[in-house]
Amino acid sequence: MPVIRIDDLTKRYGDVAANDHVTFDVEAGEIFGYLGPNGAGKTTTIRLLLGLIKPTSGTAEVLGADIRDRRALTEVKSDVGYLPDTLGFEERLTGRRVLDHFARMRGDERREELLELFRPPLDKPIETYSSGNRRMLGIVQAFMHDPQLVIMDEPTSGLDPLKQDRLHLFLEKERDAGKTIFLSSHVLSEVQRVCDRVGIIRDGELVALEEIETLLGRSGKRVWVHLAEPVDEERFRTDEMIDLEVTDATVQFTYTGEAKTLLEYLVGFDVVDVEIGEPQLDDIFKHYYGDDATVDEESAVTGKDAVSTGEDRVRTGGG
Amino acid sequence: MTAILRLESRKRLRASIVLVVVFVLLSALYFSMFPSVEEEMEELADAFPDFFFELFGIEALHTIEGFIAAEIYSFFWVVLVAIYFAYVGAGMIAKDVRERKMDLTLSNPVSRESVVLQKVSALWVPLVVLNTAVPLVVYVGALVIGESFDPVSLAMVHLLSIPYLLVCAGIGLLVSVLVDRPRSARATAISLVFVLWLVDGVSRLDPDFEWIGAVTPSRYYDETAILVHEEYALADAGLLLVTFLVLVAVAALVFARRDI
Repeated sequence: MPVIRIDDLTKRYGDVAANDHVTFDVEAGEIFGYLGPNGAGKTTTIRLLLGLIKPTSGTAEVLGADIRDRRALTEVKSDVGYLPDTLGFEERLTGRRVLDHFARMRGDERREELLELFRPPLDKPIETYSSGNRRMLGIVQAFMHDPQLVIMDEPTSGLDPLKQDRLHLFLEKERDAGKTIFLSSHVLSEVQRVCDRVGIIRDGELVALEEIETLLGRSGKRVWVHLAEPVDEERFRTDEMIDLEVTDATVQFTYTGEAKTLLEYLVGFDVVDVEIGEPQLDDIFKHYYGDDATVDEESAVTGKDAVSTGEDRVRTGGG
Repeated sequence: MTAILRLESRKRLRASIVLVVVFVLLSALYFSMFPSVEEEMEELADAFPDFFFELFGIEALHTIEGFIAAEIYSFFWVVLVAIYFAYVGAGMIAKDVRERKMDLTLSNPVSRESVVLQKVSALWVPLVVLNTAVPLVVYVGALVIGESFDPVSLAMVHLLSIPYLLVCAGIGLLVSVLVDRPRSARATAISLVFVLWLVDGVSRLDPDFEWIGAVTPSRYYDETAILVHEEYALADAGLLLVTFLVLVAVAALVFARRDI
Protein backbone atom coordinates (compact mmCIF):
# COMPACT_ATOMS: atom_id res chain seq x y z
CA MET A 1 0.00 0.00 0.00
CA PRO A 2 1.42 3.42 -0.91
CA VAL A 3 2.10 5.78 1.99
CA ILE A 4 0.50 8.66 0.11
CA ARG A 5 -2.07 8.10 -2.64
CA ILE A 6 -3.17 11.21 -4.47
CA ASP A 7 -6.15 10.63 -6.70
CA ASP A 8 -7.37 13.30 -9.11
CA LEU A 9 -6.86 15.92 -6.42
CA THR A 10 -8.21 19.35 -7.36
CA LYS A 11 -8.30 22.59 -5.41
CA ARG A 12 -9.82 25.65 -7.01
CA TYR A 13 -9.83 29.23 -5.76
CA GLY A 14 -12.42 30.87 -7.97
CA ASP A 15 -11.17 30.43 -11.52
CA VAL A 16 -7.65 29.50 -10.48
CA ALA A 17 -6.81 25.84 -10.08
CA ALA A 18 -4.07 25.66 -7.46
CA ASN A 19 -4.10 21.88 -7.92
CA ASP A 20 -5.61 20.53 -11.11
CA HIS A 21 -6.42 16.79 -11.18
CA VAL A 22 -3.13 15.81 -9.54
CA THR A 23 -2.59 12.05 -9.36
CA PHE A 24 0.43 10.14 -8.03
CA ASP A 25 1.57 7.80 -5.27
CA VAL A 26 4.44 7.98 -2.82
CA GLU A 27 5.72 4.53 -1.88
CA ALA A 28 7.01 3.42 1.50
CA GLY A 29 10.74 3.89 2.00
CA GLU A 30 11.39 6.49 -0.67
CA ILE A 31 12.36 10.13 -0.70
CA PHE A 32 9.90 11.73 -3.06
CA GLY A 33 10.69 15.19 -4.39
CA TYR A 34 7.85 17.50 -5.29
CA LEU A 35 9.46 19.97 -7.61
CA GLY A 36 8.08 23.12 -9.08
CA PRO A 37 8.62 26.88 -9.34
CA ASN A 38 7.25 29.12 -6.58
CA GLY A 39 3.49 29.39 -6.80
CA ALA A 40 3.11 26.16 -8.76
CA GLY A 41 0.84 24.56 -6.16
CA LYS A 42 3.27 22.50 -4.04
CA THR A 43 2.17 23.96 -0.73
CA THR A 44 -1.48 23.55 -1.74
CA THR A 45 -0.98 19.81 -2.22
CA ILE A 46 0.82 19.53 1.12
CA ARG A 47 -1.87 21.47 2.99
CA LEU A 48 -4.53 19.29 1.34
CA LEU A 49 -2.69 16.18 2.52
CA LEU A 50 -2.69 17.48 6.09
CA GLY A 51 -6.38 18.34 6.00
CA LEU A 52 -5.72 22.06 6.50
CA ILE A 53 -7.73 22.80 3.36
CA LYS A 54 -10.43 20.75 1.67
CA PRO A 55 -10.24 19.50 -1.92
CA THR A 56 -12.68 20.87 -4.47
CA SER A 57 -12.79 17.41 -6.03
CA GLY A 58 -10.75 14.22 -5.96
CA THR A 59 -9.08 12.97 -2.82
CA ALA A 60 -5.94 11.52 -1.29
CA GLU A 61 -4.98 8.98 1.32
CA VAL A 62 -2.26 9.48 3.91
CA LEU A 63 -1.18 6.26 5.67
CA GLY A 64 -4.51 4.78 4.60
CA ALA A 65 -6.63 7.65 5.94
CA ASP A 66 -8.82 9.52 3.46
CA ILE A 67 -8.13 13.26 3.80
CA ARG A 68 -11.90 13.91 3.68
CA ASP A 69 -12.36 11.76 6.77
CA ARG A 70 -11.29 14.22 9.47
CA ARG A 71 -11.35 11.71 12.30
CA ALA A 72 -9.23 9.12 10.48
CA LEU A 73 -6.76 11.77 9.33
CA THR A 74 -6.40 13.15 12.88
CA GLU A 75 -5.59 9.65 14.13
CA VAL A 76 -2.80 8.94 11.64
CA LYS A 77 -1.13 12.28 12.42
CA SER A 78 0.64 10.68 15.38
CA ASP A 79 2.67 8.89 12.71
CA VAL A 80 3.22 11.91 10.47
CA GLY A 81 5.83 14.65 10.82
CA TYR A 82 5.33 18.02 9.16
CA LEU A 83 7.75 20.82 8.45
CA PRO A 84 5.75 23.78 7.07
CA ASP A 85 7.24 26.37 4.72
CA THR A 86 6.47 29.12 7.25
CA LEU A 87 7.15 28.09 10.83
CA GLY A 88 4.59 29.62 13.18
CA PHE A 89 5.98 28.94 16.63
CA GLU A 90 4.94 30.64 19.86
CA GLU A 91 7.43 33.50 19.61
CA ARG A 92 7.79 34.20 23.32
CA LEU A 93 8.55 30.63 24.31
CA THR A 94 12.03 29.16 24.26
CA GLY A 95 12.82 26.39 21.79
CA ARG A 96 12.85 23.89 24.64
CA ARG A 97 9.35 24.84 25.79
CA VAL A 98 8.02 24.60 22.24
CA LEU A 99 9.44 21.08 21.91
CA ASP A 100 7.96 20.20 25.34
CA HIS A 101 4.60 21.44 24.06
CA PHE A 102 4.68 19.27 20.92
CA ALA A 103 6.04 16.33 22.93
CA ARG A 104 2.92 16.37 25.10
CA MET A 105 0.81 15.89 21.98
CA ARG A 106 2.77 13.23 20.13
CA GLY A 107 5.89 12.12 21.99
CA ASP A 108 9.59 12.92 21.61
CA GLU A 109 11.53 9.66 21.83
CA ARG A 110 14.11 10.88 19.30
CA ARG A 111 14.49 14.45 20.55
CA GLU A 112 17.99 14.18 22.05
CA GLU A 113 19.40 12.31 19.06
CA LEU A 114 18.05 14.98 16.69
CA LEU A 115 19.33 17.84 18.83
CA GLU A 116 22.85 16.49 18.41
CA LEU A 117 22.53 16.89 14.63
CA PHE A 118 20.46 20.07 14.51
CA ARG A 119 21.27 22.50 17.29
CA PRO A 120 18.89 25.43 17.67
CA PRO A 121 19.60 27.58 20.79
CA LEU A 122 17.06 25.85 23.02
CA ASP A 123 17.11 28.29 25.93
CA LYS A 124 16.48 31.42 23.91
CA PRO A 125 13.03 32.70 23.01
CA ILE A 126 12.07 31.90 19.45
CA GLU A 127 11.57 35.57 18.56
CA THR A 128 15.40 35.88 18.68
CA TYR A 129 16.01 32.96 16.29
CA SER A 130 17.58 33.31 12.85
CA SER A 131 15.73 31.67 9.98
CA GLY A 132 18.26 28.83 10.02
CA ASN A 133 17.65 28.16 13.73
CA ARG A 134 13.90 28.25 13.18
CA ARG A 135 14.24 25.70 10.40
CA MET A 136 16.38 23.44 12.61
CA LEU A 137 13.83 23.58 15.41
CA GLY A 138 11.20 22.76 12.79
CA ILE A 139 13.20 19.73 11.63
CA VAL A 140 13.57 18.47 15.21
CA GLN A 141 9.84 18.77 15.92
CA ALA A 142 8.99 17.06 12.61
CA PHE A 143 11.09 13.96 13.39
CA MET A 144 11.17 13.73 17.18
CA HIS A 145 8.14 11.45 17.55
CA ASP A 146 9.71 8.98 15.08
CA PRO A 147 6.93 9.17 12.46
CA GLN A 148 6.55 6.79 9.51
CA LEU A 149 6.03 9.66 7.08
CA VAL A 150 7.52 13.15 7.12
CA ILE A 151 6.13 15.87 4.87
CA MET A 152 8.54 18.76 4.38
CA ASP A 153 7.75 22.01 2.57
CA GLU A 154 10.97 23.59 1.28
CA PRO A 155 13.04 21.99 4.06
CA THR A 156 16.37 23.64 3.32
CA SER A 157 15.22 27.23 2.88
CA GLY A 158 17.17 29.37 5.35
CA LEU A 159 19.75 26.67 6.09
CA ASP A 160 23.41 27.27 5.30
CA PRO A 161 25.06 24.78 2.87
CA LEU A 162 26.68 22.80 5.70
CA LYS A 163 23.37 22.27 7.45
CA GLN A 164 21.73 21.46 4.13
CA ASP A 165 24.24 18.66 3.60
CA ARG A 166 23.64 17.43 7.13
CA LEU A 167 19.89 17.35 6.50
CA HIS A 168 20.31 15.53 3.19
CA LEU A 169 22.51 12.86 4.81
CA PHE A 170 20.01 12.52 7.63
CA LEU A 171 17.12 12.09 5.18
CA GLU A 172 19.00 9.35 3.34
CA LYS A 173 19.58 7.50 6.61
CA GLU A 174 15.91 7.81 7.50
CA ARG A 175 14.95 6.48 4.10
CA ASP A 176 17.30 3.52 4.55
CA ALA A 177 15.64 2.87 7.92
CA GLY A 178 12.33 2.51 6.10
CA LYS A 179 10.87 5.99 6.61
CA THR A 180 9.06 7.81 3.84
CA ILE A 181 9.95 11.42 3.06
CA PHE A 182 7.83 13.71 0.93
CA LEU A 183 9.61 16.99 0.31
CA SER A 184 8.83 19.95 -1.86
CA SER A 185 11.45 22.16 -3.42
CA HIS A 186 11.93 24.71 -6.13
CA VAL A 187 15.64 23.92 -6.29
CA LEU A 188 16.49 21.31 -8.90
CA SER A 189 19.91 20.48 -7.47
CA GLU A 190 18.42 19.71 -4.05
CA VAL A 191 15.96 17.26 -5.52
CA GLN A 192 18.69 15.72 -7.67
CA ARG A 193 20.92 15.33 -4.67
CA VAL A 194 18.56 13.55 -2.33
CA CYS A 195 15.39 12.25 -3.99
CA ASP A 196 14.65 8.82 -5.45
CA ARG A 197 11.68 9.92 -7.47
CA VAL A 198 10.31 13.26 -8.48
CA GLY A 199 6.98 14.74 -9.42
CA ILE A 200 7.08 18.06 -11.22
CA ILE A 201 4.22 20.48 -10.81
CA ARG A 202 3.59 23.63 -12.75
CA ASP A 203 0.53 25.89 -12.69
CA GLY A 204 -1.24 23.35 -10.51
CA GLU A 205 -0.72 20.48 -12.92
CA LEU A 206 1.57 17.51 -12.48
CA VAL A 207 3.65 17.65 -15.65
CA ALA A 208 6.08 14.83 -14.96
CA LEU A 209 6.58 11.91 -12.65
CA GLU A 210 9.85 10.05 -12.93
CA GLU A 211 12.89 8.38 -11.47
CA ILE A 212 15.60 10.84 -10.58
CA GLU A 213 18.03 9.28 -13.09
CA THR A 214 15.66 10.08 -15.90
CA LEU A 215 15.42 13.68 -14.79
CA LEU A 216 19.22 13.92 -14.51
CA GLY A 217 19.50 12.75 -18.09
CA ARG A 218 17.05 15.38 -19.19
CA SER A 219 18.28 18.35 -17.31
CA GLY A 220 21.64 19.12 -18.97
CA LYS A 221 23.88 22.06 -18.15
CA ARG A 222 23.48 25.71 -18.85
CA VAL A 223 26.59 26.85 -20.78
CA TRP A 224 27.83 30.31 -21.58
CA VAL A 225 30.87 30.74 -23.82
CA HIS A 226 32.68 33.95 -24.72
CA LEU A 227 34.80 33.61 -27.84
CA ALA A 228 37.57 35.82 -29.19
CA GLU A 229 35.72 36.36 -32.49
CA PRO A 230 32.13 36.25 -33.66
CA VAL A 231 31.05 32.77 -34.67
CA ASP A 232 28.54 31.39 -37.12
CA GLU A 233 25.59 29.70 -35.41
CA GLU A 234 25.43 26.78 -37.85
CA ARG A 235 29.13 26.07 -37.57
CA PHE A 236 29.00 26.06 -33.74
CA ARG A 237 25.84 23.98 -33.20
CA THR A 238 25.97 20.29 -32.27
CA ASP A 239 23.12 17.86 -31.67
CA GLU A 240 23.56 18.06 -27.90
CA MET A 241 22.87 21.81 -27.80
CA ILE A 242 19.41 23.19 -27.33
CA ASP A 243 18.11 26.70 -26.96
CA LEU A 244 21.25 27.99 -28.67
CA GLU A 245 21.61 31.76 -28.73
CA VAL A 246 24.46 33.48 -30.52
CA THR A 247 25.11 37.17 -30.01
CA ASP A 248 28.31 38.29 -31.72
CA ALA A 249 31.08 36.43 -29.93
CA THR A 250 28.91 35.20 -27.06
CA VAL A 251 27.12 31.86 -27.17
CA GLN A 252 24.56 30.51 -24.70
CA PHE A 253 22.96 27.09 -24.77
CA THR A 254 21.81 24.11 -22.73
CA TYR A 255 24.04 21.09 -23.16
CA THR A 256 22.54 17.64 -22.82
CA GLY A 257 25.62 15.56 -23.57
CA GLU A 258 28.61 14.69 -21.40
CA ALA A 259 30.88 17.33 -19.92
CA LYS A 260 34.03 15.71 -21.34
CA THR A 261 32.67 15.82 -24.91
CA LEU A 262 31.71 19.45 -24.52
CA LEU A 263 35.13 20.48 -23.23
CA GLU A 264 36.89 18.60 -26.05
CA TYR A 265 34.61 20.31 -28.54
CA LEU A 266 35.21 23.79 -27.14
CA VAL A 267 38.98 23.39 -27.45
CA GLY A 268 38.48 23.69 -31.21
CA PHE A 269 37.41 27.33 -30.75
CA ASP A 270 39.24 30.40 -29.51
CA VAL A 271 37.55 30.51 -26.09
CA VAL A 272 38.10 33.60 -23.90
CA ASP A 273 35.85 32.55 -21.02
CA VAL A 274 33.38 29.81 -20.20
CA GLU A 275 30.78 29.26 -17.52
CA ILE A 276 28.90 26.03 -16.89
CA GLY A 277 26.03 26.06 -14.41
CA GLU A 278 22.83 24.38 -13.25
CA PRO A 279 19.93 24.72 -15.65
CA GLN A 280 16.97 26.76 -14.52
CA LEU A 281 13.92 24.77 -13.62
CA ASP A 282 11.92 26.84 -16.09
CA ASP A 283 14.30 25.84 -18.90
CA ILE A 284 13.73 22.19 -18.13
CA PHE A 285 10.01 22.66 -18.28
CA LYS A 286 10.27 24.53 -21.53
CA HIS A 287 12.52 22.07 -23.26
CA TYR A 288 11.51 18.72 -21.94
CA TYR A 289 7.96 18.95 -20.87
CA GLY A 290 6.47 21.54 -23.15
CA ASP A 291 3.85 24.07 -22.30
CA ASP A 292 0.84 21.79 -22.28
CA ALA A 293 2.60 18.65 -21.16
CA THR A 294 0.81 16.02 -19.09
CA VAL A 295 2.07 13.03 -17.22
CA ASP A 296 2.93 10.01 -19.28
CA GLU A 297 5.13 7.59 -17.47
CA GLU A 298 5.83 5.40 -20.47
CA SER A 299 7.33 8.15 -22.52
CA ALA A 300 9.18 9.33 -19.45
CA VAL A 301 11.13 6.07 -19.50
CA THR A 302 11.93 6.28 -23.20
CA GLY A 303 12.42 10.02 -23.05
CA LYS A 304 16.15 9.70 -22.65
CA ASP A 305 16.64 8.49 -26.20
CA ALA A 306 14.71 11.38 -27.54
CA VAL A 307 16.97 13.86 -25.76
CA SER A 308 20.03 12.72 -27.65
CA THR A 309 18.35 13.53 -30.94
CA GLY A 310 18.41 17.13 -29.80
CA GLU A 311 14.73 17.71 -30.32
CA ASP A 312 13.47 20.72 -28.52
CA ARG A 313 10.26 19.15 -27.36
CA VAL A 314 10.53 15.54 -26.51
CA ARG A 315 7.10 15.12 -25.09
CA THR A 316 4.18 17.34 -25.65
CA GLY A 317 0.69 16.60 -24.58
CA GLY A 318 1.37 12.93 -23.93
CA GLY A 319 -2.15 12.30 -22.65
CA MET B 1 -4.86 15.84 25.48
CA THR B 2 -4.48 19.04 27.42
CA ALA B 3 -1.23 20.41 25.96
CA ILE B 4 -3.02 23.27 24.20
CA LEU B 5 -5.03 24.13 27.32
CA ARG B 6 -1.77 24.27 29.26
CA LEU B 7 -0.02 26.53 26.78
CA GLU B 8 -3.03 28.83 26.36
CA SER B 9 -3.51 29.10 30.11
CA ARG B 10 0.08 30.31 30.47
CA LYS B 11 -0.54 32.90 27.78
CA ARG B 12 -3.62 34.26 29.60
CA LEU B 13 -1.83 34.71 32.92
CA ARG B 14 0.14 37.87 32.20
CA ALA B 15 -2.83 39.94 30.98
CA SER B 16 -4.96 38.72 33.89
CA ILE B 17 -2.41 40.00 36.37
CA VAL B 18 -2.18 43.33 34.55
CA LEU B 19 -5.97 43.66 34.78
CA VAL B 20 -5.89 42.94 38.51
CA VAL B 21 -3.30 45.69 38.97
CA VAL B 22 -5.57 48.09 37.06
CA PHE B 23 -8.45 47.20 39.39
CA VAL B 24 -6.30 47.65 42.49
CA LEU B 25 -5.40 51.15 41.33
CA LEU B 26 -9.00 52.00 40.42
CA SER B 27 -10.29 50.69 43.74
CA ALA B 28 -7.70 52.69 45.65
CA LEU B 29 -8.79 55.79 43.76
CA TYR B 30 -12.52 55.31 44.37
CA PHE B 31 -12.24 54.20 47.99
CA SER B 32 -10.11 57.21 48.85
CA MET B 33 -12.70 59.41 47.15
CA PHE B 34 -15.79 57.92 48.76
CA PRO B 35 -15.63 59.40 52.30
CA SER B 36 -15.24 62.94 50.97
CA VAL B 37 -17.86 62.67 48.22
CA GLU B 38 -20.40 60.57 50.13
CA GLU B 39 -22.43 63.62 51.15
CA GLU B 40 -22.29 65.27 47.76
CA MET B 41 -23.57 62.19 46.01
CA GLU B 42 -27.23 63.05 46.58
CA GLU B 43 -26.65 66.50 45.13
CA LEU B 44 -24.82 64.91 42.25
CA ALA B 45 -27.76 62.61 41.66
CA ASP B 46 -30.04 65.64 41.46
CA ALA B 47 -27.68 67.60 39.26
CA PHE B 48 -27.55 65.03 36.47
CA PRO B 49 -30.58 64.13 34.40
CA ASP B 50 -32.13 60.73 35.21
CA PHE B 51 -31.33 59.18 31.85
CA PHE B 52 -27.62 59.47 32.62
CA PHE B 53 -28.00 57.11 35.57
CA GLU B 54 -30.41 54.85 33.76
CA LEU B 55 -27.97 54.50 30.90
CA PHE B 56 -25.37 53.07 33.26
CA GLY B 57 -27.88 51.43 35.60
CA ILE B 58 -26.69 53.55 38.51
CA GLU B 59 -28.58 53.82 41.80
CA ALA B 60 -27.97 54.74 45.42
CA LEU B 61 -24.65 56.47 44.89
CA HIS B 62 -24.49 57.61 48.49
CA THR B 63 -24.09 54.01 49.75
CA ILE B 64 -20.82 52.17 49.37
CA GLU B 65 -22.57 49.41 47.41
CA GLY B 66 -24.19 51.83 45.01
CA PHE B 67 -21.01 53.84 44.63
CA ILE B 68 -18.78 50.87 43.91
CA ALA B 69 -21.43 49.27 41.68
CA ALA B 70 -21.49 52.49 39.68
CA GLU B 71 -17.81 53.33 39.63
CA ILE B 72 -16.17 49.94 39.33
CA TYR B 73 -18.71 47.41 38.11
CA SER B 74 -21.03 49.40 35.80
CA PHE B 75 -18.24 50.56 33.65
CA PHE B 76 -14.93 48.85 34.27
CA TRP B 77 -16.29 45.35 34.78
CA VAL B 78 -19.29 45.31 32.46
CA VAL B 79 -17.58 47.17 29.63
CA LEU B 80 -13.81 46.93 29.92
CA VAL B 81 -13.46 43.37 31.18
CA ALA B 82 -16.14 42.30 28.69
CA ILE B 83 -14.13 43.94 25.93
CA TYR B 84 -11.00 42.12 27.13
CA PHE B 85 -12.84 38.80 26.89
CA ALA B 86 -14.16 39.65 23.43
CA TYR B 87 -10.62 40.62 22.40
CA VAL B 88 -9.15 37.36 23.67
CA GLY B 89 -11.92 35.33 22.01
CA ALA B 90 -11.43 37.12 18.70
CA GLY B 91 -7.70 36.37 18.70
CA MET B 92 -8.05 32.69 19.53
CA ILE B 93 -8.42 31.29 16.03
CA ALA B 94 -7.82 34.15 13.58
CA LYS B 95 -4.41 35.03 15.03
CA ASP B 96 -3.12 31.44 15.01
CA VAL B 97 -4.34 30.89 11.46
CA ARG B 98 -2.77 34.11 10.22
CA GLU B 99 0.57 33.48 11.97
CA ARG B 100 0.56 29.90 10.67
CA LYS B 101 0.66 28.54 14.21
CA MET B 102 -2.47 26.59 13.39
CA ASP B 103 -0.59 24.61 10.70
CA LEU B 104 1.78 23.25 13.31
CA THR B 105 -0.95 22.75 15.91
CA LEU B 106 -3.07 20.74 13.50
CA SER B 107 -0.12 18.59 12.44
CA ASN B 108 -0.61 16.93 15.83
CA PRO B 109 -3.18 14.20 16.39
CA VAL B 110 -5.72 16.70 17.70
CA SER B 111 -9.12 17.55 16.22
CA ARG B 112 -10.12 21.11 15.42
CA GLU B 113 -13.01 20.86 17.88
CA SER B 114 -10.54 19.96 20.60
CA VAL B 115 -8.35 22.95 19.68
CA VAL B 116 -11.33 25.29 20.07
CA LEU B 117 -12.46 23.72 23.34
CA GLN B 118 -9.00 23.78 24.87
CA LYS B 119 -8.47 27.40 23.89
CA VAL B 120 -11.84 28.41 25.34
CA SER B 121 -11.17 26.42 28.50
CA ALA B 122 -8.02 28.48 29.06
CA LEU B 123 -10.35 31.37 29.96
CA TRP B 124 -10.45 29.81 33.41
CA VAL B 125 -7.25 31.77 34.13
CA PRO B 126 -8.60 35.33 33.78
CA LEU B 127 -11.94 34.22 35.28
CA VAL B 128 -10.33 32.81 38.41
CA VAL B 129 -7.64 35.46 38.80
CA LEU B 130 -9.98 38.42 38.31
CA ASN B 131 -12.90 37.00 40.28
CA THR B 132 -10.68 36.17 43.24
CA ALA B 133 -8.44 39.19 43.39
CA VAL B 134 -10.92 41.97 42.56
CA PRO B 135 -13.62 41.13 45.16
CA LEU B 136 -10.88 40.71 47.74
CA VAL B 137 -9.51 44.14 46.93
CA VAL B 138 -13.01 45.68 47.04
CA TYR B 139 -13.87 43.99 50.34
CA VAL B 140 -10.64 44.96 52.05
CA GLY B 141 -10.83 48.45 50.55
CA ALA B 142 -14.26 49.02 52.08
CA LEU B 143 -13.01 47.88 55.50
CA VAL B 144 -10.02 50.21 55.28
CA ILE B 145 -12.25 53.28 54.84
CA GLY B 146 -14.52 52.11 57.68
CA GLU B 147 -17.40 50.89 55.50
CA SER B 148 -18.51 47.32 55.10
CA PHE B 149 -19.56 45.38 52.05
CA ASP B 150 -22.00 42.48 52.11
CA PRO B 151 -19.68 39.55 51.23
CA VAL B 152 -22.53 37.49 49.74
CA SER B 153 -23.67 40.11 47.26
CA LEU B 154 -20.05 40.87 46.45
CA ALA B 155 -19.41 37.20 45.68
CA MET B 156 -22.61 37.05 43.62
CA VAL B 157 -21.75 40.11 41.56
CA HIS B 158 -18.64 38.22 40.48
CA LEU B 159 -20.11 34.76 40.16
CA LEU B 160 -23.02 35.94 38.02
CA SER B 161 -20.68 37.98 35.84
CA ILE B 162 -18.89 34.82 34.68
CA PRO B 163 -21.64 33.74 32.21
CA TYR B 164 -21.82 37.33 30.95
CA LEU B 165 -18.06 37.50 30.32
CA LEU B 166 -18.13 34.08 28.68
CA VAL B 167 -20.81 35.23 26.25
CA CYS B 168 -18.58 38.17 25.32
CA ALA B 169 -15.68 35.76 24.74
CA GLY B 170 -18.04 33.53 22.73
CA ILE B 171 -18.98 36.46 20.49
CA GLY B 172 -15.27 37.07 19.96
CA LEU B 173 -14.63 33.40 19.21
CA LEU B 174 -17.39 33.24 16.62
CA VAL B 175 -16.00 36.34 14.91
CA SER B 176 -12.55 34.72 15.10
CA VAL B 177 -13.55 31.71 13.01
CA LEU B 178 -15.43 33.85 10.48
CA VAL B 179 -12.98 36.72 9.90
CA ASP B 180 -9.52 36.00 8.49
CA ARG B 181 -7.54 39.02 9.63
CA PRO B 182 -6.91 39.04 13.39
CA ARG B 183 -7.06 42.83 13.56
CA SER B 184 -10.45 42.96 11.86
CA ALA B 185 -11.67 40.09 14.02
CA ARG B 186 -10.70 41.89 17.19
CA ALA B 187 -12.06 45.24 16.05
CA THR B 188 -15.35 43.60 15.03
CA ALA B 189 -15.71 41.68 18.30
CA ILE B 190 -14.90 44.69 20.48
CA SER B 191 -17.31 46.91 18.53
CA LEU B 192 -20.04 44.27 18.76
CA VAL B 193 -19.74 43.88 22.52
CA PHE B 194 -19.56 47.63 23.05
CA VAL B 195 -22.53 48.38 20.75
CA LEU B 196 -24.61 45.64 22.39
CA TRP B 197 -23.92 47.19 25.79
CA LEU B 198 -24.85 50.62 24.45
CA VAL B 199 -28.05 49.32 22.88
CA ASP B 200 -29.01 47.79 26.22
CA GLY B 201 -28.41 51.07 28.06
CA VAL B 202 -30.15 53.28 25.52
CA SER B 203 -33.16 50.98 25.15
CA ARG B 204 -33.76 51.20 28.91
CA LEU B 205 -34.42 54.93 28.56
CA ASP B 206 -37.73 54.44 26.77
CA PRO B 207 -40.15 51.71 27.94
CA ASP B 208 -41.46 51.39 24.36
CA PHE B 209 -38.05 50.32 23.14
CA GLU B 210 -36.85 48.40 26.14
CA TRP B 211 -37.54 45.08 24.37
CA ILE B 212 -34.73 45.78 21.89
CA GLY B 213 -32.23 45.31 24.70
CA ALA B 214 -33.45 41.76 25.20
CA VAL B 215 -30.90 40.56 22.64
CA THR B 216 -27.97 42.13 24.52
CA PRO B 217 -25.95 40.08 27.03
CA SER B 218 -25.67 42.92 29.56
CA ARG B 219 -29.49 42.88 29.97
CA TYR B 220 -29.05 39.56 31.78
CA TYR B 221 -26.44 40.79 34.23
CA ASP B 222 -27.45 43.63 36.56
CA GLU B 223 -24.62 44.56 38.89
CA THR B 224 -26.60 47.28 40.66
CA ALA B 225 -29.55 44.96 41.39
CA ILE B 226 -27.12 42.45 42.89
CA LEU B 227 -25.14 44.89 45.02
CA VAL B 228 -27.85 47.37 46.06
CA HIS B 229 -30.98 45.17 46.15
CA GLU B 230 -29.40 41.75 46.63
CA GLU B 231 -31.39 40.38 43.69
CA TYR B 232 -29.70 37.38 42.14
CA ALA B 233 -31.10 36.59 38.68
CA LEU B 234 -29.98 32.97 38.42
CA ALA B 235 -32.23 32.19 35.44
CA ASP B 236 -30.69 35.08 33.51
CA ALA B 237 -27.22 33.75 34.28
CA GLY B 238 -28.31 30.31 33.11
CA LEU B 239 -29.58 31.80 29.86
CA LEU B 240 -26.20 33.49 29.32
CA LEU B 241 -24.41 30.23 29.98
CA VAL B 242 -26.53 28.42 27.39
CA THR B 243 -25.89 31.23 24.90
CA PHE B 244 -22.16 30.86 25.51
CA LEU B 245 -22.29 27.11 24.89
CA VAL B 246 -24.23 27.65 21.66
CA LEU B 247 -21.70 30.25 20.49
CA VAL B 248 -18.78 27.87 21.17
CA ALA B 249 -20.56 24.97 19.45
CA VAL B 250 -21.31 27.05 16.35
CA ALA B 251 -17.73 28.37 16.28
CA ALA B 252 -16.29 24.85 16.55
CA LEU B 253 -18.62 23.63 13.82
CA VAL B 254 -17.65 26.44 11.46
CA PHE B 255 -13.94 26.11 12.22
CA ALA B 256 -13.92 22.33 11.68
CA ARG B 257 -15.31 22.78 8.18
CA ARG B 258 -13.36 25.70 6.82
CA ASP B 259 -10.03 26.02 5.03
CA ILE B 260 -7.25 27.58 7.02
